[in-house]
Amino acid sequence: MLRLGFVAVLIFLGNSAAAAEENAAVFQKRLHPILHTHCFSCHGTTSPQSNLSVSSLEGLLRGGKHGPALTPGSSQKSLLMAYLRGERSPKMPLGGSLPDTVIQELAEAIDTMAPISVPDVPGDGHLEWLLHRPKAPGVPAVSKVSWVRNPIDAFILAKLDAKNMTPAPAADPRALIRRVYFDLIGLPPSPEEVSTFVNDRDPAAYAKLVDKLLADARYGERWGRHWLDLVRFAESDGFAIDSERPTAWRYRDYVIRAFNQDKPYDLFIKEQLAGDEMKDKRGADKDSAERLIALGFLRMATWEADATSRQQLRQDFLNEITGTTASVFLGLTAGCAQCHDHKYDPIPQRDFYRLQAFFAATALDERPVPYLDVENPKVLKQRCRQHEDEVEQANTELETRKEALKQRFVELKNLKPEDPAVAEFMRELNVANVFFQEREDSIFKEPVWKSYLEAKDNLRRLSELGKRYQPVAVAVKEVVPPDVPALPDTYLLVSGELESKGEKTEPGFLECVIGKTEPAKIPFVGSSSGRRLALAEWIASAENPLTARVMVNRIWQHHFGEGLVRTPSDFGKNGARPSHPELLDWLATEFIDQKWSIKAMHRLMLTSNAYQQATAHPEWKSYTESDPNNELLWRMNWMRLDGESLRDSVLALAGRLNPASGGPGALLETPVDVAEGFEFFKWFPSEEPEQRRRTVYTFQRRSVVNPMLEVFDVANMNVSCSRRNLTTVTPQALTLMNGELVQRESRYLAERLMREAGPQPDQQIDRAFLVALGRPPSESEKGESMKLLKKLPAPEGLAHLSVVLFNLNEFLYLE
Amino acid sequence: MSFQESRRRFLYQNLVGVGGIALMELLHRDLSAAGPANEKPLAPKPPHHTPKAKSCIFLSMLGGVAQMDTFDPKPALKKFDGMPMDWSKHKKTDQPALFAKPRHLVASPFNFSKQGKCGMDVSDLLPNLSSCVDDMAFVRSVQADNGNHPAAVFQMNTGFIMPGNPSLGAWLSYGLGTVNQNLPAYVALPDFRSIPFSGSQQWGSGFLPASYQGTVLRWKGDPIRDLASPPDVTPETREQQRELLRALNQEYLQKHFTNPDLQARIDAYELSYRMQAEVPGVLSIDRESPSTKEMYGLGDPVTESFGKRCLMARKLVESGVRYVQIYTPSQSWDAHIDVRKNHLKNAQETDKPIAALIMDLKQRGLLESTLLVWMGEFGRTPDTPADQKTKGRDHNPGAMTIWFAGGGVKAGVVVGATDELGLKAVEDVYHIRDVHATILHLMGLNDMRLTYYHAGRNRRLTDTGGKLIHQVVG
Repeated sequence: MLRLGFVAVLIFLGNSAAAAEENAAVFQKRLHPILHTHCFSCHGTTSPQSNLSVSSLEGLLRGGKHGPALTPGSSQKSLLMAYLRGERSPKMPLGGSLPDTVIQELAEAIDTMAPISVPDVPGDGHLEWLLHRPKAPGVPAVSKVSWVRNPIDAFILAKLDAKNMTPAPAADPRALIRRVYFDLIGLPPSPEEVSTFVNDRDPAAYAKLVDKLLADARYGERWGRHWLDLVRFAESDGFAIDSERPTAWRYRDYVIRAFNQDKPYDLFIKEQLAGDEMKDKRGADKDSAERLIALGFLRMATWEADATSRQQLRQDFLNEITGTTASVFLGLTAGCAQCHDHKYDPIPQRDFYRLQAFFAATALDERPVPYLDVENPKVLKQRCRQHEDEVEQANTELETRKEALKQRFVELKNLKPEDPAVAEFMRELNVANVFFQEREDSIFKEPVWKSYLEAKDNLRRLSELGKRYQPVAVAVKEVVPPDVPALPDTYLLVSGELESKGEKTEPGFLECVIGKTEPAKIPFVGSSSGRRLALAEWIASAENPLTARVMVNRIWQHHFGEGLVRTPSDFGKNGARPSHPELLDWLATEFIDQKWSIKAMHRLMLTSNAYQQATAHPEWKSYTESDPNNELLWRMNWMRLDGESLRDSVLALAGRLNPASGGPGALLETPVDVAEGFEFFKWFPSEEPEQRRRTVYTFQRRSVVNPMLEVFDVANMNVSCSRRNLTTVTPQALTLMNGELVQRESRYLAERLMREAGPQPDQQIDRAFLVALGRPPSESEKGESMKLLKKLPAPEGLAHLSVVLFNLNEFLYLE
Repeated sequence: MSFQESRRRFLYQNLVGVGGIALMELLHRDLSAAGPANEKPLAPKPPHHTPKAKSCIFLSMLGGVAQMDTFDPKPALKKFDGMPMDWSKHKKTDQPALFAKPRHLVASPFNFSKQGKCGMDVSDLLPNLSSCVDDMAFVRSVQADNGNHPAAVFQMNTGFIMPGNPSLGAWLSYGLGTVNQNLPAYVALPDFRSIPFSGSQQWGSGFLPASYQGTVLRWKGDPIRDLASPPDVTPETREQQRELLRALNQEYLQKHFTNPDLQARIDAYELSYRMQAEVPGVLSIDRESPSTKEMYGLGDPVTESFGKRCLMARKLVESGVRYVQIYTPSQSWDAHIDVRKNHLKNAQETDKPIAALIMDLKQRGLLESTLLVWMGEFGRTPDTPADQKTKGRDHNPGAMTIWFAGGGVKAGVVVGATDELGLKAVEDVYHIRDVHATILHLMGLNDMRLTYYHAGRNRRLTDTGGKLIHQVVG
């Protein structure tokens, strides 16, 4: 019966949804071009007189003060047509009229639409909930008080109670320690850590373990990565030239430090949006330097360095940072309002440009920022000097080889050295190689040419390396009077087009949040516009209904595999509804009460019984029918190691992970089809020990994505990534079975196993399972593994066994 | 029938279309249930309408080909050769720097003549393709938005000038799946002398799941990365490893049968073994006759790179691969300095192999079901900087000639026209998104209905929709 009702709902929604899609298509293809030409100058965004926007189908359906402007399927009943035909006054467009053929086309288009109204789920109250500040709800009463370790459990259990469901039993301690290790530090526990924990009878053992891991510096490396996904962290511009941002790593380290220090989230927001505008109470240089580095957030967008229109490039930058700021901190897709009023959420196009106006005086800047003590200035300075020397030598070498090339050219062509052709040839050397494609000259087949190219590459490599050690922050600055006559104006851009300037806009907060349409008033006090700080303070405020909810949801998402809102960067009408709105509100208020401490949130979530559940449930069959996505959290979600944890673990188990933290990133050895063939840069892999660092410390060039990490769904560096894809594809099997990393590290793991377990194969197998999986093998597993070792004794056999262990489902999945 | 299966069947039968499903997923996230990983993302999916083509081969002429030197003769250029070009009417250029200096018109260094029954004009630059014109449909009036290579290459592949969007091949794989589960649905064949700007992003899946991204096959050495077992692992050892892996994974699965992803991953391994067995065979050219090899220009260093990849494309399509894209080297056709020399070199590398591909597909009865698309990221200008010693042509997004062949297109037609100089498309003007809409249409998909919900809205290859090049579709 239940299922029948369900299908009926599907059919209803399915058809109307498909029809709504078709209507939207008709609007885009047939109505939009006409309305855009004739009506957008006044009704492109909600017009102040009539409150009508015609920039979207939703706008027409919502209508203005006279009611809906469009009735799908009937041009007769559509108010829009009445005004265009002059049947109602004033005739539109004001002071003119459209040609009959155009009116006819509009009428026909409207008549072809399916006769359905707005695909609005009426009155689910989502926006009312979302746009009001959360109040701490009462903790609900539940059936089984003994299961409640903290209020999280009460909220989870209350929902289960209502459905007559029970939570899963507690996870096996071995599964739990593995889960929490990967969750907090992204690496597996050692066999000794597992056995200590499993045998610890102290009831507080687990809480102590959580504290220990939160205090571990590797925690920041793991959780910083989640933030780096969101801020589309990369160390190059993207596009064709894809220039390096040589000291972007300082921002990466800032993020890692912030997590390790448990920097209050409100401060974390302010530093990244307005570190340069913050008034430094303590006046310490250390803080101001740190805050300038934090501005890297504003610099992470792609940048088309050779764009033909600088104005458009600037506009692209502003659009990107506006949209990303809204989605990262507020969980709103305000970027959708760049060209028209938001189609789902109450964000008029004007608000997009008001948000953008906060960045109007912001300019890109590579700022000299001295090294912080935590950045290990001694080593950095020393490396900086060393590379300067090396660059000088390489330069001299290049000049020598250039001279040799010149001599050979003169010889080959039988020219006098002062012949203009010689100078021309030398001049062209500095032009991009593409021009040489069209010249076929025997000089390019000479050894002097090859030797010249080598020297050129060497110089290029060294100067790139050197730049990564400069005390510079990839940041922004404010360009304000008296350097410029006035703060730049921001205009609403009709259809998002630079040439179609609409009304002038002042900085302003989202009207749907603040409940009024007046712009923010930010007095200009000199030296800085103060705008970004005003924005940051509005976002990082306990009054803001979105900020705390969005962040606690992100923390929850990484602990539990899914957020309470499963569209973590879209809390709007089109996003998913929260599974537990009260719990989300309780966590948000708790977050603020705990002074925005992220670690306090970790402790709460991790020590809940909800988190410590097993992934299996005795009632899984019937529960899966009623709650297939486990939204009620009747069991723990399965997790899979992400690309970084996988690579780091392989290195760690082989005993080869280089634990060095911070500093310029390592360039991994990369197959030629990925790393070669670029015109504007070359990929020079770092020295071997550097390449064994944690993945978060590998160099993030937008054009060169490590193929192994790519097949394991690492974040796309071009746009904010709030949730990684989770795909299961064949190249994953190929890379783990045959790829270089696993093949190489398996040999090292074999050596380690021999060292630790001695010469006996059965002890080696025991140890192998303990190291890789945190548990001894079963009898049958041991028997099967023994077959491999019998055929091929250690170390080869053990290395082959190690390859298999790295490929196991049990290695990749966390219970 | 399990609940999941019945749900899926229901959706496919009632909404017939990927857009519908994406929307349903959105409305009912709780229904996506036992994990998308468990569904086979590349299983064949029903098209929106009866397709004309089953596979598509996209021939990317990177750098941009000069239309007035290939398929769009401009006698006026001969008449006005060397005359100053008047740019006053064309001030709105996105490349002001290129046109800052005085410029002269340049006659084509090549001669045109009528070819085939259709009487298509082709220059003597392309002697082999000249004999195939009756199988081709030309569009002389395609425009792009941007005259900058990186942005324009992105637009050619993804419809957008910014990075981060799915490529055409990814959309096709997402929309249609693929018939041969032992091979990738989408294969990219770049030229490793110089790969396209932004590398793998050009065949990436953007915001679509990674399952839809293109797989690069290399024409030298191992065709797929990590396909072969390492040399020091004997076949016996490898078989033992597989056995052990199967046994251990099975034991684990029995304990944890509630997790459907575990089985999906076991399946992925089985597929990888089948691919190891099948791919080398599919791509092996040993079985090709000497005359076929000769036809594609294998053995000649000039044509070998493009020829080998054209032959691979035929073999892949023959084995059911949905979409293959072949690239010339990055910026290869970018004839700023000397258009005669540059175009001659590029034509010599590609003309014979492409003609061979058309003829070979035809003789095997595959041309009807295989759509060929030939285009660059933009066209080129009729003029050159006046102070330049040699005669080149610069970027021109205002007009380019592209052609289609096979895949049910109306062969022998010529669509659209440019102005007297070939500077700008003036008749039946089409945009790149229209080209994309047309390709999707021929493959059985409606560009408006092929949607994926991402970052707040339904996304499309053609954004707000393209118009069909109806003269070609027939």
